[in-house]
Amino acid sequence: MTTVALIVDTFREAMARKIFWGLFGLSALMILFFLFLMRIDVVEGAVATITLFGNERTTRADVNVDELIRQVHSSIAGFLYTFGMFLAVFASAGLIPSVLEPGRIELILSKPVSRWQILLGRFAGNILVVAANITFLVVGVWLIFGWKTGVWTTAFLVTIPATIILFFSLLSIVAWAGVLWESTAVSTMIPVVVMILSPVLAQNRIAERLLSSQWSRDVWNTLYYALPKVFDTGRMTLNYVQGKPAGDWMPLWSSALFGIVILGWSLWIFEKRDF
Amino acid sequence: MEMSGELALETENLRKVFRNGWSAREVVAVDEISLKVKRGTTFGLLGPNGAGKTTFVKMVLSSCHATAGVARIFGKDSRLPEARRPIGYLPENHRFPTYFTGAGMLDFYAALSGVSAASRRTLIPELFERVGLDRQWMDVRIGKFSKGMLQRVGLAQALIHQPEMLILDEPSDGVDPVGRRQIRDVLRTLESGGVTIFLNSHLLEEVEMFCSEVAIINKGRVALQGRVADLTAGKGFRLVASRNGTRRELHVGTQAEANRAIDELRREEFEVESMQATASRLEDVFIQVVEKR
Repeated sequence: MTTVALIVDTFREAMARKIFWGLFGLSALMILFFLFLMRIDVVEGAVATITLFGNERTTRADVNVDELIRQVHSSIAGFLYTFGMFLAVFASAGLIPSVLEPGRIELILSKPVSRWQILLGRFAGNILVVAANITFLVVGVWLIFGWKTGVWTTAFLVTIPATIILFFSLLSIVAWAGVLWESTAVSTMIPVVVMILSPVLAQNRIAERLLSSQWSRDVWNTLYYALPKVFDTGRMTLNYVQGKPAGDWMPLWSSALFGIVILGWSLWIFEKRDF
Repeated sequence: MEMSGELALETENLRKVFRNGWSAREVVAVDEISLKVKRGTTFGLLGPNGAGKTTFVKMVLSSCHATAGVARIFGKDSRLPEARRPIGYLPENHRFPTYFTGAGMLDFYAALSGVSAASRRTLIPELFERVGLDRQWMDVRIGKFSKGMLQRVGLAQALIHQPEMLILDEPSDGVDPVGRRQIRDVLRTLESGGVTIFLNSHLLEEVEMFCSEVAIINKGRVALQGRVADLTAGKGFRLVASRNGTRRELHVGTQAEANRAIDELRREEFEVESMQATASRLEDVFIQVVEKR
Protein backbone atom coordinates (compact mmCIF):
# COMPACT_ATOMS: atom_id res chain seq x y z
CA MET A 1 0.00 0.00 0.00
CA THR A 2 2.82 2.42 0.90
CA THR A 3 4.69 1.81 -2.36
CA VAL A 4 1.49 2.34 -4.34
CA ALA A 5 0.87 5.57 -2.40
CA LEU A 6 4.36 6.79 -3.26
CA ILE A 7 3.93 5.92 -6.95
CA VAL A 8 0.52 7.60 -7.09
CA ASP A 9 2.02 10.65 -5.38
CA THR A 10 4.72 10.87 -8.06
CA PHE A 11 2.03 10.73 -10.74
CA ARG A 12 0.07 13.42 -8.92
CA GLU A 13 3.11 15.67 -8.75
CA ALA A 14 3.96 15.00 -12.42
CA MET A 15 0.43 16.01 -13.35
CA ALA A 16 0.47 19.11 -11.14
CA ARG A 17 3.77 20.21 -12.65
CA LYS A 18 2.26 19.60 -16.11
CA ILE A 19 5.05 17.09 -16.82
CA PHE A 20 2.68 14.24 -17.55
CA TRP A 21 0.30 16.38 -19.58
CA GLY A 22 3.16 18.03 -21.49
CA LEU A 23 4.57 14.69 -22.61
CA PHE A 24 1.09 13.33 -23.21
CA GLY A 25 0.15 16.39 -25.30
CA LEU A 26 3.25 16.02 -27.45
CA SER A 27 2.57 12.33 -28.04
CA ALA A 28 -1.10 13.05 -28.77
CA LEU A 29 -0.11 15.75 -31.26
CA MET A 30 2.09 13.29 -33.17
CA ILE A 31 -0.62 10.65 -33.15
CA LEU A 32 -3.23 13.15 -34.37
CA PHE A 33 -0.85 14.27 -37.12
CA PHE A 34 -0.57 10.73 -38.47
CA LEU A 35 -4.25 10.08 -37.91
CA PHE A 36 -5.74 13.08 -39.66
CA LEU A 37 -3.12 14.87 -41.73
CA MET A 38 -1.35 11.95 -43.36
CA ARG A 39 -3.16 9.62 -45.72
CA ILE A 40 -1.57 6.67 -47.46
CA ASP A 41 -3.23 4.88 -50.37
CA VAL A 42 -1.92 1.41 -51.00
CA VAL A 43 -2.41 -0.38 -54.30
CA GLU A 44 -1.34 -4.01 -54.56
CA GLY A 45 1.22 -3.83 -51.74
CA ALA A 46 2.84 -0.63 -53.00
CA VAL A 47 2.22 2.96 -51.94
CA ALA A 48 0.25 4.73 -54.65
CA THR A 49 -0.24 8.17 -53.07
CA ILE A 50 0.70 9.90 -49.86
CA THR A 51 -1.41 12.91 -48.86
CA LEU A 52 0.17 15.31 -46.43
CA PHE A 53 -1.73 18.45 -45.29
CA GLY A 54 -4.03 17.83 -48.29
CA ASN A 55 -1.18 17.80 -50.86
CA GLU A 56 -1.27 14.59 -52.79
CA ARG A 57 2.00 13.02 -53.93
CA THR A 58 2.25 10.08 -56.22
CA THR A 59 5.10 7.83 -55.28
CA ARG A 60 7.34 5.73 -57.46
CA ALA A 61 5.83 2.39 -58.28
CA ASP A 62 8.62 0.54 -56.50
CA VAL A 63 7.98 2.10 -53.05
CA ASN A 64 7.14 -0.87 -50.92
CA VAL A 65 4.55 -0.10 -48.24
CA ASP A 66 6.27 -2.35 -45.74
CA GLU A 67 9.54 -0.52 -46.27
CA LEU A 68 7.84 2.87 -45.94
CA ILE A 69 6.20 1.90 -42.65
CA ARG A 70 9.52 0.65 -41.29
CA GLN A 71 11.06 4.00 -42.26
CA VAL A 72 8.32 5.93 -40.47
CA HIS A 73 8.61 3.67 -37.44
CA SER A 74 12.36 4.13 -37.29
CA SER A 75 11.94 7.92 -37.53
CA ILE A 76 9.65 7.82 -34.50
CA ALA A 77 12.12 5.56 -32.69
CA GLY A 78 14.94 7.95 -33.60
CA PHE A 79 12.90 10.84 -32.23
CA LEU A 80 12.40 8.95 -28.97
CA TYR A 81 16.14 8.27 -28.55
CA THR A 82 17.12 11.88 -29.14
CA PHE A 83 14.52 14.55 -28.34
CA GLY A 84 12.31 12.11 -26.44
CA MET A 85 15.04 11.18 -23.95
CA PHE A 86 16.11 14.81 -23.53
CA LEU A 87 12.50 15.85 -22.91
CA ALA A 88 11.87 13.00 -20.49
CA VAL A 89 15.00 13.79 -18.46
CA PHE A 90 14.38 17.56 -18.47
CA ALA A 91 10.75 17.15 -17.52
CA SER A 92 11.10 14.59 -14.78
CA ALA A 93 14.50 15.36 -13.23
CA GLY A 94 12.87 17.45 -10.49
CA LEU A 95 10.58 14.71 -9.25
CA ILE A 96 13.24 12.96 -7.15
CA PRO A 97 15.00 15.97 -5.57
CA SER A 98 11.62 17.56 -4.76
CA VAL A 99 10.71 14.80 -2.31
CA LEU A 100 14.01 15.38 -0.46
CA GLU A 101 13.20 19.03 0.30
CA PRO A 102 13.61 19.98 3.97
CA GLY A 103 10.25 19.99 5.71
CA ARG A 104 8.90 17.34 3.37
CA ILE A 105 11.31 14.44 3.72
CA GLU A 106 11.29 14.48 7.55
CA LEU A 107 7.57 13.89 7.60
CA ILE A 108 7.75 11.01 5.12
CA LEU A 109 10.66 9.47 7.04
CA SER A 110 8.63 9.64 10.27
CA LYS A 111 6.11 7.21 8.75
CA PRO A 112 6.54 3.44 9.07
CA VAL A 113 8.20 3.21 5.67
CA SER A 114 11.72 2.04 4.83
CA ARG A 115 14.01 4.50 3.14
CA TRP A 116 14.54 2.19 0.17
CA GLN A 117 10.77 2.05 -0.30
CA ILE A 118 10.57 5.84 -0.43
CA LEU A 119 13.26 6.21 -3.08
CA LEU A 120 12.16 3.20 -5.11
CA GLY A 121 8.53 4.34 -4.97
CA ARG A 122 9.51 7.74 -6.37
CA PHE A 123 11.80 6.14 -8.93
CA ALA A 124 9.15 3.69 -10.09
CA GLY A 125 6.55 6.47 -10.29
CA ASN A 126 8.90 8.52 -12.43
CA ILE A 127 9.59 5.56 -14.73
CA LEU A 128 5.86 4.89 -15.06
CA VAL A 129 5.08 8.52 -15.98
CA VAL A 130 7.53 8.34 -18.89
CA ALA A 131 6.75 4.72 -19.78
CA ALA A 132 3.03 5.52 -20.05
CA ASN A 133 3.78 8.28 -22.54
CA ILE A 134 6.26 6.24 -24.58
CA THR A 135 3.77 3.36 -24.75
CA PHE A 136 0.97 5.74 -25.71
CA LEU A 137 3.01 7.24 -28.55
CA VAL A 138 4.46 4.02 -29.94
CA VAL A 139 1.28 1.95 -29.69
CA GLY A 140 -0.75 4.88 -31.05
CA VAL A 141 1.46 5.31 -34.11
CA TRP A 142 1.68 1.56 -34.62
CA LEU A 143 -2.12 1.20 -34.55
CA ILE A 144 -2.69 4.12 -36.92
CA PHE A 145 -0.22 2.88 -39.52
CA GLY A 146 -1.44 -0.67 -39.15
CA TRP A 147 -5.02 0.46 -39.66
CA LYS A 148 -4.17 2.75 -42.60
CA THR A 149 -1.89 0.36 -44.46
CA GLY A 150 -2.63 -3.11 -43.14
CA VAL A 151 1.06 -3.55 -42.23
CA TRP A 152 1.38 -4.79 -38.66
CA THR A 153 5.13 -5.09 -38.21
CA THR A 154 5.78 -5.77 -34.53
CA ALA A 155 9.47 -4.83 -34.59
CA PHE A 156 8.53 -1.21 -33.85
CA LEU A 157 7.05 -2.25 -30.49
CA VAL A 158 10.57 -3.20 -29.33
CA THR A 159 11.15 0.56 -29.06
CA ILE A 160 8.96 0.58 -25.92
CA PRO A 161 11.11 -1.65 -23.67
CA ALA A 162 14.36 -0.37 -25.22
CA THR A 163 13.57 3.32 -24.54
CA ILE A 164 12.23 2.54 -21.07
CA ILE A 165 15.43 0.65 -20.20
CA LEU A 166 17.49 3.56 -21.49
CA PHE A 167 15.40 6.05 -19.51
CA PHE A 168 15.83 3.82 -16.45
CA SER A 169 19.63 4.08 -16.77
CA LEU A 170 19.47 7.88 -17.18
CA LEU A 171 17.00 8.26 -14.31
CA SER A 172 19.35 6.31 -12.04
CA ILE A 173 21.84 9.18 -12.58
CA VAL A 174 19.09 11.67 -11.71
CA ALA A 175 18.36 9.72 -8.50
CA TRP A 176 22.05 9.46 -7.61
CA ALA A 177 22.68 13.19 -8.12
CA GLY A 178 19.37 13.95 -6.37
CA VAL A 179 20.16 12.09 -3.14
CA LEU A 180 23.69 13.45 -3.14
CA TRP A 181 23.02 17.13 -3.84
CA GLU A 182 19.21 17.59 -3.71
CA SER A 183 19.54 19.83 -6.75
CA THR A 184 17.26 19.60 -9.77
CA ALA A 185 19.77 21.52 -11.89
CA VAL A 186 22.63 19.09 -11.17
CA SER A 187 20.26 16.13 -11.52
CA THR A 188 19.39 17.35 -15.02
CA MET A 189 22.86 18.33 -16.13
CA ILE A 190 24.67 15.06 -15.48
CA PRO A 191 22.40 12.76 -17.56
CA VAL A 192 22.30 15.38 -20.33
CA VAL A 193 26.11 15.38 -20.42
CA VAL A 194 26.02 11.56 -20.58
CA MET A 195 23.58 11.77 -23.52
CA ILE A 196 25.76 14.30 -25.33
CA LEU A 197 28.88 12.23 -24.70
CA SER A 198 27.22 9.03 -25.88
CA PRO A 199 27.66 9.49 -29.69
CA VAL A 200 31.23 10.67 -29.12
CA LEU A 201 32.17 7.71 -26.92
CA ALA A 202 30.47 5.36 -29.39
CA GLN A 203 33.32 6.12 -31.82
CA ASN A 204 35.63 4.01 -29.68
CA ARG A 205 37.03 2.07 -32.63
CA ILE A 206 38.13 5.28 -34.35
CA ALA A 207 39.42 6.63 -31.03
CA GLU A 208 41.56 3.51 -30.58
CA ARG A 209 43.34 4.33 -33.81
CA LEU A 210 43.65 8.06 -33.18
CA LEU A 211 44.67 8.15 -29.53
CA SER A 212 48.39 7.86 -29.00
CA SER A 213 48.64 6.60 -25.41
CA GLN A 214 47.28 3.36 -23.99
CA TRP A 215 46.14 5.28 -20.92
CA SER A 216 43.86 7.59 -22.93
CA ARG A 217 42.48 4.61 -24.88
CA ASP A 218 41.70 2.85 -21.59
CA VAL A 219 39.92 5.93 -20.24
CA TRP A 220 37.87 6.20 -23.43
CA ASN A 221 36.91 2.53 -23.40
CA THR A 222 36.09 2.56 -19.69
CA LEU A 223 33.77 5.50 -20.16
CA TYR A 224 32.21 3.90 -23.21
CA TYR A 225 31.53 0.55 -21.55
CA ALA A 226 30.54 1.99 -18.16
CA LEU A 227 28.11 4.76 -19.15
CA PRO A 228 24.63 4.29 -20.68
CA LYS A 229 24.88 3.83 -24.43
CA VAL A 230 22.12 6.10 -25.70
CA PHE A 231 23.55 6.35 -29.20
CA ASP A 232 24.31 2.66 -29.66
CA THR A 233 21.00 1.53 -28.18
CA GLY A 234 19.21 3.91 -30.53
CA ARG A 235 21.19 2.65 -33.56
CA MET A 236 20.63 -0.96 -32.56
CA THR A 237 16.87 -0.47 -32.17
CA LEU A 238 16.58 1.48 -35.43
CA ASN A 239 18.29 -1.36 -37.27
CA TYR A 240 15.92 -3.82 -35.68
CA VAL A 241 12.86 -1.72 -36.56
CA GLN A 242 14.07 -1.38 -40.16
CA GLY A 243 14.42 -5.14 -40.43
CA LYS A 244 18.22 -5.05 -40.52
CA PRO A 245 20.38 -7.15 -38.19
CA ALA A 246 20.30 -5.50 -34.76
CA GLY A 247 23.78 -6.75 -33.94
CA ASP A 248 25.08 -7.05 -30.43
CA TRP A 249 22.56 -6.31 -27.64
CA MET A 250 25.41 -5.25 -25.35
CA PRO A 251 24.49 -1.53 -25.43
CA LEU A 252 21.05 -2.33 -24.02
CA TRP A 253 21.99 -4.78 -21.28
CA SER A 254 25.08 -2.84 -20.22
CA SER A 255 22.96 0.34 -19.94
CA ALA A 256 20.47 -1.60 -17.79
CA LEU A 257 23.32 -2.91 -15.65
CA PHE A 258 24.64 0.63 -15.23
CA GLY A 259 21.16 1.70 -14.10
CA ILE A 260 20.93 -1.10 -11.54
CA VAL A 261 24.38 -0.34 -10.09
CA ILE A 262 23.79 3.42 -9.87
CA LEU A 263 20.32 2.95 -8.42
CA GLY A 264 21.79 0.61 -5.79
CA TRP A 265 24.44 3.22 -4.99
CA SER A 266 21.73 5.90 -4.70
CA LEU A 267 19.76 3.71 -2.28
CA TRP A 268 22.89 3.21 -0.18
CA ILE A 269 23.56 6.97 -0.05
CA PHE A 270 19.91 7.67 0.80
CA GLU A 271 20.00 5.09 3.59
CA LYS A 272 23.04 6.76 5.17
CA ARG A 273 22.03 10.40 4.80
CA ASP A 274 20.86 12.75 7.53
CA PHE A 275 17.91 15.03 6.85
CA MET B 1 12.76 0.52 37.43
CA GLU B 2 10.31 1.17 34.61
CA MET B 3 9.32 -1.64 32.34
CA SER B 4 10.01 -0.77 28.72
CA GLY B 5 6.29 -1.22 28.00
CA GLU B 6 5.47 1.65 30.35
CA LEU B 7 7.74 3.96 28.45
CA ALA B 8 6.56 5.66 25.32
CA LEU B 9 10.01 7.00 24.55
CA GLU B 10 13.38 6.10 25.94
CA THR B 11 16.76 7.33 24.80
CA GLU B 12 20.07 6.06 26.07
CA ASN B 13 23.13 8.28 25.65
CA LEU B 14 21.88 9.58 22.34
CA ARG B 15 24.65 11.53 20.67
CA LYS B 16 25.00 13.32 17.37
CA VAL B 17 28.20 14.75 16.01
CA PHE B 18 28.09 16.60 12.72
CA ARG B 19 31.31 16.53 10.77
CA ASN B 20 32.27 19.01 8.12
CA GLY B 21 33.70 16.95 5.31
CA TRP B 22 36.25 19.53 4.16
CA SER B 23 37.62 20.94 7.37
CA ALA B 24 36.97 17.78 9.46
CA ARG B 25 35.58 20.11 12.12
CA GLU B 26 33.17 18.45 14.53
CA VAL B 27 30.07 19.95 16.10
CA VAL B 28 28.38 18.07 18.93
CA ALA B 29 24.68 18.79 18.45
CA VAL B 30 23.35 16.27 20.96
CA ASP B 31 25.58 15.04 23.75
CA GLU B 32 24.50 11.76 25.31
CA ILE B 33 20.90 12.57 26.10
CA SER B 34 19.07 9.97 28.13
CA LEU B 35 15.36 10.61 28.54
CA LYS B 36 12.43 8.55 29.66
CA VAL B 37 8.91 9.56 28.72
CA LYS B 38 6.21 7.49 30.38
CA ARG B 39 3.21 6.32 28.42
CA GLY B 40 0.30 8.75 28.68
CA THR B 41 2.31 11.77 29.86
CA THR B 42 2.47 15.19 28.30
CA PHE B 43 6.14 15.94 27.95
CA GLY B 44 7.66 19.24 26.94
CA LEU B 45 11.12 19.60 25.45
CA LEU B 46 12.57 23.06 25.96
CA GLY B 47 15.79 24.73 25.10
CA PRO B 48 17.22 27.83 23.48
CA ASN B 49 17.83 28.00 19.73
CA GLY B 50 20.58 25.62 18.68
CA ALA B 51 20.31 23.58 21.88
CA GLY B 52 19.82 20.36 19.91
CA LYS B 53 16.05 19.89 20.31
CA THR B 54 15.28 19.40 16.63
CA THR B 55 18.28 17.11 16.09
CA PHE B 56 17.12 15.07 19.09
CA VAL B 57 13.61 14.72 17.65
CA LYS B 58 15.02 13.87 14.22
CA MET B 59 17.13 11.09 15.73
CA VAL B 60 14.10 9.73 17.56
CA LEU B 61 12.27 9.65 14.23
CA SER B 62 15.31 8.32 12.35
CA SER B 63 15.48 11.10 9.80
CA CYS B 64 18.90 11.77 11.27
CA HIS B 65 21.25 8.95 12.28
CA ALA B 66 22.64 8.92 15.81
CA THR B 67 26.42 8.87 16.14
CA ALA B 68 26.00 6.82 19.31
CA GLY B 69 23.25 5.69 21.64
CA VAL B 70 19.83 4.32 21.01
CA ALA B 71 16.22 5.54 20.96
CA ARG B 72 13.28 3.27 21.67
CA ILE B 73 9.64 3.92 20.95
CA PHE B 74 7.36 1.75 23.04
CA GLY B 75 10.34 -0.55 23.57
CA LYS B 76 11.25 -0.89 19.87
CA ASP B 77 14.41 0.45 18.31
CA SER B 78 13.29 3.65 16.55
CA ARG B 79 15.40 2.83 13.50
CA LEU B 80 12.92 0.11 12.61
CA PRO B 81 10.11 1.46 10.42
CA GLU B 82 7.61 -0.55 12.44
CA ALA B 83 8.63 1.31 15.62
CA ARG B 84 7.38 4.55 14.06
CA ARG B 85 3.90 3.20 13.33
CA PRO B 86 2.38 4.45 16.65
CA ILE B 87 3.79 7.95 16.15
CA GLY B 88 2.05 11.00 14.78
CA TYR B 89 4.47 13.78 13.92
CA LEU B 90 4.09 17.42 13.01
CA PRO B 91 7.41 19.00 12.04
CA GLU B 92 8.15 22.65 12.66
CA ASN B 93 9.02 23.97 9.22
CA HIS B 94 6.87 21.56 7.31
CA ARG B 95 6.51 21.94 3.59
CA PHE B 96 3.45 20.08 2.41
CA PRO B 97 3.39 19.72 -1.39
CA THR B 98 1.10 22.44 -2.74
CA TYR B 99 -0.38 20.16 -5.41
CA PHE B 100 -2.33 18.33 -2.73
CA THR B 101 -5.83 19.24 -1.78
CA GLY B 102 -6.47 19.18 1.96
CA ALA B 103 -8.13 15.77 1.71
CA GLY B 104 -5.54 14.48 -0.77
CA MET B 105 -2.74 15.33 1.60
CA LEU B 106 -4.38 13.51 4.51
CA ASP B 107 -5.08 10.56 2.24
CA PHE B 108 -1.42 10.31 1.19
CA TYR B 109 0.05 10.47 4.69
CA ALA B 110 -2.62 8.11 6.03
CA ALA B 111 -1.76 5.59 3.30
CA LEU B 112 1.92 5.83 4.29
CA SER B 113 0.87 5.14 7.88
CA GLY B 114 -0.96 2.02 6.77
CA VAL B 115 -4.57 3.25 7.11
CA SER B 116 -6.91 1.36 4.78
CA ALA B 117 -8.68 3.21 1.96
CA ALA B 118 -12.10 2.61 3.54
CA SER B 119 -11.01 4.05 6.90
CA ARG B 120 -9.40 7.02 5.18
CA ARG B 121 -12.66 7.92 3.51
CA THR B 122 -14.48 8.19 6.83
CA LEU B 123 -11.61 9.58 8.92
CA ILE B 124 -10.64 12.50 6.67
CA PRO B 125 -13.89 14.53 6.96
CA GLU B 126 -14.02 13.79 10.71
CA LEU B 127 -10.49 15.04 11.25
CA PHE B 128 -11.14 18.21 9.30
CA GLU B 129 -13.86 19.07 11.77
CA ARG B 130 -11.86 17.92 14.76
CA VAL B 131 -9.03 20.36 14.06
CA GLY B 132 -11.47 23.18 13.35
CA LEU B 133 -11.32 23.27 9.56
CA ASP B 134 -14.47 23.59 7.51
CA ARG B 135 -15.14 20.60 5.25
CA GLN B 136 -15.28 22.91 2.23
CA TRP B 137 -11.48 23.14 2.44
CA MET B 138 -11.11 19.43 1.79
CA ASP B 139 -11.07 19.92 -1.96
CA VAL B 140 -9.00 23.11 -2.00
CA ARG B 141 -5.32 22.94 -2.87
CA ILE B 142 -3.24 23.50 0.24
CA GLY B 143 -1.25 26.14 -1.61
CA LYS B 144 -4.27 28.33 -0.81
CA PHE B 145 -4.19 27.55 2.94
CA SER B 146 -3.05 30.14 5.49
CA LYS B 147 -0.25 29.36 7.95
CA GLY B 148 -2.74 28.60 10.70
CA MET B 149 -4.77 26.33 8.44
CA LEU B 150 -1.62 24.49 7.43
CA GLN B 151 -0.86 23.87 11.11
CA ARG B 152 -4.34 22.48 11.61
CA VAL B 153 -4.22 20.22 8.58
CA GLY B 154 -0.71 19.22 9.67
CA LEU B 155 -2.09 18.24 13.05
CA ALA B 156 -4.84 16.28 11.29
CA GLN B 157 -2.24 14.29 9.30
CA ALA B 158 -0.45 13.50 12.57
CA LEU B 159 -3.70 12.18 14.06
CA ILE B 160 -5.12 10.28 11.12
CA HIS B 161 -3.76 6.85 12.05
CA GLN B 162 -4.85 7.24 15.68
CA PRO B 163 -1.31 7.33 17.09
CA GLU B 164 -0.33 6.33 20.61
CA MET B 165 2.23 9.09 20.75
CA LEU B 166 2.28 12.54 19.21
CA ILE B 167 5.49 14.43 18.57
CA LEU B 168 4.65 18.04 17.88
CA ASP B 169 7.19 20.66 16.92
CA GLU B 170 5.77 24.14 17.56
CA PRO B 171 2.17 23.03 16.94
CA SER B 172 0.58 26.43 17.50
CA ASP B 173 3.09 28.37 15.41
CA GLY B 174 1.17 30.87 13.27
CA VAL B 175 -2.19 29.92 14.74
CA ASP B 176 -4.50 32.62 16.11
CA PRO B 177 -5.55 32.52 19.81
CA VAL B 178 -8.87 30.82 19.05
CA GLY B 179 -7.06 28.22 16.99
CA ARG B 180 -4.52 27.70 19.75
CA ARG B 181 -7.26 26.94 22.19
CA GLN B 182 -8.87 24.54 19.71
CA ILE B 183 -5.56 22.75 19.22
CA ARG B 184 -5.08 22.62 22.99
CA ASP B 185 -8.56 21.17 23.39
CA VAL B 186 -7.81 18.49 20.80
CA LEU B 187 -4.60 17.65 22.61
CA ARG B 188 -6.37 17.57 25.99
CA THR B 189 -8.90 15.09 24.60
CA LEU B 190 -6.07 12.94 23.30
CA GLU B 191 -4.25 13.17 26.61
CA SER B 192 -7.33 12.00 28.47
CA GLY B 193 -7.52 9.12 26.02
CA GLY B 194 -4.03 8.01 27.10
CA VAL B 195 -2.06 9.38 24.13
CA THR B 196 1.49 10.40 25.00
CA ILE B 197 2.22 13.93 23.86
CA PHE B 198 5.75 15.11 23.27
CA LEU B 199 5.80 18.84 22.71
CA ASN B 200 8.74 20.75 21.37
CA SER B 201 7.91 24.39 21.74
CA HIS B 202 9.44 27.79 22.33
CA LEU B 203 6.23 28.95 23.97
CA LEU B 204 7.05 28.34 27.62
CA GLU B 205 3.60 29.39 28.77
CA GLU B 206 2.06 26.84 26.47
CA VAL B 207 4.35 24.10 27.78
CA GLU B 208 3.71 25.13 31.40
CA MET B 209 -0.02 25.15 30.83
CA PHE B 210 -0.12 21.86 28.99
CA CYS B 211 2.75 19.58 30.00
CA SER B 212 3.12 17.58 33.17
CA GLU B 213 6.85 16.94 32.64
CA VAL B 214 9.60 18.86 30.95
CA ALA B 215 13.23 18.58 30.03
CA ILE B 216 15.34 21.62 29.34
CA ILE B 217 18.24 20.97 27.06
CA ASN B 218 21.10 23.33 26.56
CA LYS B 219 24.21 22.91 24.43
CA GLY B 220 23.17 19.39 23.55
CA ARG B 221 22.78 18.16 27.12
CA VAL B 222 19.84 17.76 29.48
CA ALA B 223 20.23 20.67 31.86
CA LEU B 224 17.11 20.01 33.93
CA GLN B 225 14.32 17.49 33.90
CA GLY B 226 11.32 17.03 36.12
CA ARG B 227 7.64 17.53 36.78
CA VAL B 228 6.38 21.00 35.94
CA ALA B 229 4.65 21.19 39.34
CA ASP B 230 7.93 20.51 41.12
CA LEU B 231 9.97 22.90 39.01
CA THR B 232 7.53 25.72 39.58
CA ALA B 233 7.05 24.94 43.30
CA GLY B 234 8.16 28.45 44.29
CA LYS B 235 4.74 29.70 43.31
CA GLY B 236 2.70 31.17 46.24
CA PHE B 237 2.52 34.27 48.51
CA ARG B 238 5.09 36.40 50.28
CA LEU B 239 4.06 38.01 53.58
CA VAL B 240 5.99 40.78 55.28
CA ALA B 241 5.11 41.70 58.87
CA SER B 242 6.81 43.66 61.67
CA ARG B 243 6.61 44.06 65.47
CA ASN B 244 8.61 46.60 67.46
CA GLY B 245 11.13 47.02 64.68
CA THR B 246 11.45 43.28 64.04
CA ARG B 247 10.69 42.33 60.45
CA ARG B 248 9.48 38.92 59.49
CA GLU B 249 9.11 37.47 55.96
CA LEU B 250 7.08 34.38 55.20
CA HIS B 251 6.57 32.30 52.06
CA VAL B 252 3.48 30.18 51.77
CA GLY B 253 2.16 28.06 48.94
CA THR B 254 -1.58 28.69 48.91
CA GLN B 255 -4.09 31.40 49.71
CA ALA B 256 -5.50 29.37 52.62
CA GLU B 257 -2.03 29.03 54.09
CA ALA B 258 -1.54 32.79 53.65
CA ASN B 259 -4.75 33.49 55.61
CA ARG B 260 -3.73 31.11 58.38
CA ALA B 261 -0.31 32.78 58.55
CA ILE B 262 -1.93 36.24 58.81
CA ASP B 263 -4.13 35.00 61.69
CA GLU B 264 -1.06 33.66 63.45
CA LEU B 265 0.88 36.87 62.92
CA ARG B 266 -2.00 38.99 64.21
CA ARG B 267 -2.26 36.78 67.30
CA GLU B 268 1.40 37.45 67.93
CA GLU B 269 0.64 41.18 67.49
CA PHE B 270 2.56 41.56 64.26
CA GLU B 271 1.51 44.28 61.83
CA VAL B 272 1.10 42.83 58.30
CA GLU B 273 2.96 45.20 56.00
CA SER B 274 2.37 43.50 52.70
CA MET B 275 1.18 40.35 51.02
CA GLN B 276 2.29 39.60 47.44
CA ALA B 277 1.57 36.76 45.11
CA THR B 278 4.84 35.28 43.95
CA ALA B 279 5.29 33.26 40.81
CA SER B 280 8.10 30.93 39.94
CA ARG B 281 7.10 30.36 36.35
CA LEU B 282 8.69 27.91 33.96
CA GLU B 283 10.17 30.89 32.19
CA ASP B 284 12.10 31.82 35.35
CA VAL B 285 13.34 28.25 35.70
CA PHE B 286 14.28 28.14 32.02
CA ILE B 287 16.24 31.39 32.15
CA GLN B 288 18.03 30.35 35.33
CA VAL B 289 19.03 27.02 33.82
CA VAL B 290 20.15 28.45 30.50
CA GLU B 291 22.06 31.37 32.00
CA LYS B 292 23.74 29.21 34.65
CA ARG B 293 25.36 27.01 32.00
